[in-house]
Amino acid sequence: MDSLKEDLKKQIIAQLNLEDVQVEDIDDEALLFDADGLGLDSIDALELIVLLEKYYSIQVTKPEEGKEAFRSINSMAEYIRKRKAESVL
Amino acid sequence: MVYISAASGITHQPTFKNAGFSASLDTISSDTELVSPNYKDYIDAGLLRRMSKILRMSVACAKECIQQAGEIHPDAIVVGTGLGCLQDTEKFLNTFLSVEGLLPPTSFIQSTHNTIAGQISLSIGNHGYNMTHTQNTLSFEHALIDSIMMLAEGDAHILVGAADEHISFLDSVAEQLDVTLPVAMTSGCSFFVLSKEKTDQTLAKLTAVETYGEIQKLEEHLNNFFESNSIDPARLDLVLFSGLDIDACGQVLHYLTSRGVKEDQIQDYLIYSGIYPTASAFAVHYAVDKIGQDPSLKNVLVCNCMNRRNLGLTLIQSVEA
Repeated sequence: MDSLKEDLKKQIIAQLNLEDVQVEDIDDEALLFDADGLGLDSIDALELIVLLEKYYSIQVTKPEEGKEAFRSINSMAEYIRKRKAESVL
Repeated sequence: MVYISAASGITHQPTFKNAGFSASLDTISSDTELVSPNYKDYIDAGLLRRMSKILRMSVACAKECIQQAGEIHPDAIVVGTGLGCLQDTEKFLNTFLSVEGLLPPTSFIQSTHNTIAGQISLSIGNHGYNMTHTQNTLSFEHALIDSIMMLAEGDAHILVGAADEHISFLDSVAEQLDVTLPVAMTSGCSFFVLSKEKTDQTLAKLTAVETYGEIQKLEEHLNNFFESNSIDPARLDLVLFSGLDIDACGQVLHYLTSRGVKEDQIQDYLIYSGIYPTASAFAVHYAVDKIGQDPSLKNVLVCNCMNRRNLGLTLIQSVEA
């Protein structure tokens, strides 16, 4: 498994206190804010913003950016890689 | 008249869904643990994951109380809490001290005292009056007084209760202040449905609640309380008491015993509840349960003297009294 995605899953489970969820339960493409996915809500969105700053030193300043980035584990990993690459340039 | 239609509690005693619990209480020791139900039976897993101990206890207890009352829709939710959501407050402050940049929002949002009443309201979809009272050891009594006034203004049913949670930091504070407590500090919550009308389900009557802060004229207050409720202290069958036999608490004990209340009719309830600011709510639940089990009990007074500068008096009577 992509280590960034695995780390993200572990961090999300810990930060959001997802008591009954294991890393292998989260599909990379599952919609995080959909009832069929993790069923997260607006408070969780704030927690994810804090998570990105805490673990990856990434600040989400544009709301529309966050909406796309937090769609799934895949989109979060893609967003982190993109922001990291931009900061190197 | 105010009637108690349902009573529920989650404490360090087997109070939850256990009518008759008052006959099987053990005194609290330092290793007595909170007797918790399976919270997943009462709270959606998505909400439960965010809830601290005090929120889990309160929401489960409130829901069970409403079920007991016959799935009524309360017109108001009123909660008393002395110290509020300590677990989330501690978590938020520790994060505040240790993390630079953005702070996780959940513990901050849930650190306020009124989170308890708010979460109950969200859990049962209630849009009525929602109030939290925090008045140190008299918080529960103030919640009761508010509820009685709401019923007098026309409400039919009120969900009223009290909750406080213990965190280990409180033990450190007590140690640093060199405070010796007679019994361990604990967590507890008790909820009641108060109703305007008597029904077949009515458990007891809530006849009077009075609070006195910074007590000055103790004898005058007690005389007024008994006179205005037309009851002679000698007619009390049971007094549930918290406090030590010193200062104002000692004077209250002397007042009662010199007016016909026998010493064996006075029961210290803190040895069963442990110490938390709203332990008088446990005493009211205890009184209601005792009345349900023993038909000879007509008049029970909860005398809250836990903070020796404040006094709370709650008179509970059997339906027949």
